[in-house]
Amino acid sequence: MKRFAIATTAIDPAALREGLRDPGAGGFCAFEGWVRNSNEGREVDGLEYEAYVELAIAEGERIAEEAIARYGVSAAHCVHRTGDLKIGDMAVWVGASAPHRDEAFRACRYIIDEIKHRLPIWKKEHYVTGETSWVACSHTYREHEHEEGGHPHHGHAHHGHAPAAPFMPDYSRQMRLSEVGEAGQARLAAARVLVIGAGGLGSPVIAYLAGAGVGTLGLVDGDRVDASNLHRQTLYDARDIGKPKVELAARRVAAINPSVQVRAFAEPLHAGNVVETFAQFDLVLECTDDMRSRYLSSDGAVLSGTPLVLASVYQYEGQLQVVDPKAGLPCLRCLWPQEPSPEAVGSCVLSGVLGPVPGVLGAMQAMEALKILLDLPRPKNATLALVNLLDNTIQHLGMDTTAGCAAHGGCTHQARAALRRAQDQREMDLSFHSLAEAVAAGFQLVDVREANEIAALPLPGVPSRHVPSGEIAVHAQVLRNEGRYLLICASGRRSAHAVQRLRAEGVENVYSLAGGLAALSLRKAS
Amino acid sequence: MALVNLQYYAQLREQAGTGSEQVLTGAASLRDLYEELRARHGFSLDAASLKVAVNTQFCAWDRLLRDGDTVVFIPPVAGG
Repeated sequence: MKRFAIATTAIDPAALREGLRDPGAGGFCAFEGWVRNSNEGREVDGLEYEAYVELAIAEGERIAEEAIARYGVSAAHCVHRTGDLKIGDMAVWVGASAPHRDEAFRACRYIIDEIKHRLPIWKKEHYVTGETSWVACSHTYREHEHEEGGHPHHGHAHHGHAPAAPFMPDYSRQMRLSEVGEAGQARLAAARVLVIGAGGLGSPVIAYLAGAGVGTLGLVDGDRVDASNLHRQTLYDARDIGKPKVELAARRVAAINPSVQVRAFAEPLHAGNVVETFAQFDLVLECTDDMRSRYLSSDGAVLSGTPLVLASVYQYEGQLQVVDPKAGLPCLRCLWPQEPSPEAVGSCVLSGVLGPVPGVLGAMQAMEALKILLDLPRPKNATLALVNLLDNTIQHLGMDTTAGCAAHGGCTHQARAALRRAQDQREMDLSFHSLAEAVAAGFQLVDVREANEIAALPLPGVPSRHVPSGEIAVHAQVLRNEGRYLLICASGRRSAHAVQRLRAEGVENVYSLAGGLAALSLRKAS
Repeated sequence: MALVNLQYYAQLREQAGTGSEQVLTGAASLRDLYEELRARHGFSLDAASLKVAVNTQFCAWDRLLRDGDTVVFIPPVAGG
């Protein structure tokens, strides 16, 4: 008989109870696990269980058999839910019937403890704040480990499998290093590290930091796995295509080291939350391929005082920089004050890259992270490392800390101004699926393109007024008085600029169509 | 005239078709040198979007060139 099952729909305890009836049974005991509304002080409004089903069923079956052998119960059964659950839903049901009550109680307790400890089931909590977090279900206090002798404990050796040993992380190889030891390992366990980007750089970073036993790993990534990622993003495999990277990465962490607590962020950070998010971590690693994210991270590190390890790659080479505001190390803006245009910086998509290049740079980032967390010796001078993997050279270019931001009010001043600009832009830029949607939302449309552009590509079937962006200031008075206005141009650049000018004149009810008409036609195409 | 060693990274390496070269130049400053090279190799980036380092130290574009300098032009890169 199958003694363990995974259920994707609601569990029916009455039917399960009937299944355990036995003429020789004098007692029946059941345990139900329910979804509650908080965990470790955080308000939860639901959760999601995900299981490695084949393995969970095999292991669950083994646990039920162990309980029967160990306590001599007549029958035992367990069902675990997967999928989305709400507060109050039943997540797990365990039942045992036995000649006497004591065995039934003990068997129930044994099964639920072992299930929590051994099954490859992950819990994703949805917090009321909108965040989510993957929690590996492990580290349970197991009553039966503390049972005294005299129970039919010896019996199980004759009944197939001995209970699998619970997973205990073994850090002996790194703790053997005199610079690490127990004190160092405790520092790692207490550390909270944020990894932004779970791609080519993030893959080695996440794997090494999880393996090293960093206590809390925050993971940020809004992308899904694409087949073109697999040559360099070693966290994933062909079955993962189309799935969200952050969830896969969180699961990978739980698989490498279940003792690591994962906090998953499925949306990129932005100017409005980067500082407060960084402040919740001891160290940040920037592993995206996105220049805007790199500047945002640099600004966030400067303003929160959190050290940041930056890396990026181009074809056969990479750059590595540690930003440490408290140690007086320069930021990204000290080198390149303004975010360069996307065309100037290249990307893996446009320029190509060999897989091991982000692998090497990511491993170097992980190494810097461990050195910082363990307070190991590292270069004290401000440098940018240029790693060339064709001729295998690393050049350290020294930075003059009095140049860069220092000559323009300092890193903090520059970062604060940049975040304010990005925040203003964020608030002014609105995205819509169509112009009709904007009209339905109560916006009046203002086309700020030139007359010849409009003639070539008129707005499709929606009312709009035409004010060329160069003349926008003249119309400030009119726009001030009525409704809400959405300014539109081809790319979103001129309309954003026009909105900035109007806002400077005190006109608050104006917004810019993010990405312009180009973004709308892109949406239509996809 | 100064004989200088040049190293190129990222897009500059691609556009120059080499990772390094030695040139004899009449350019007085780093800025002049870059403009001279830009005309020769057709570099798409202007000096404002680059950093320059001489003898493994970042420095200002108006620094004067000396014989034997090793000059590196570095664009920001974003791949990951």
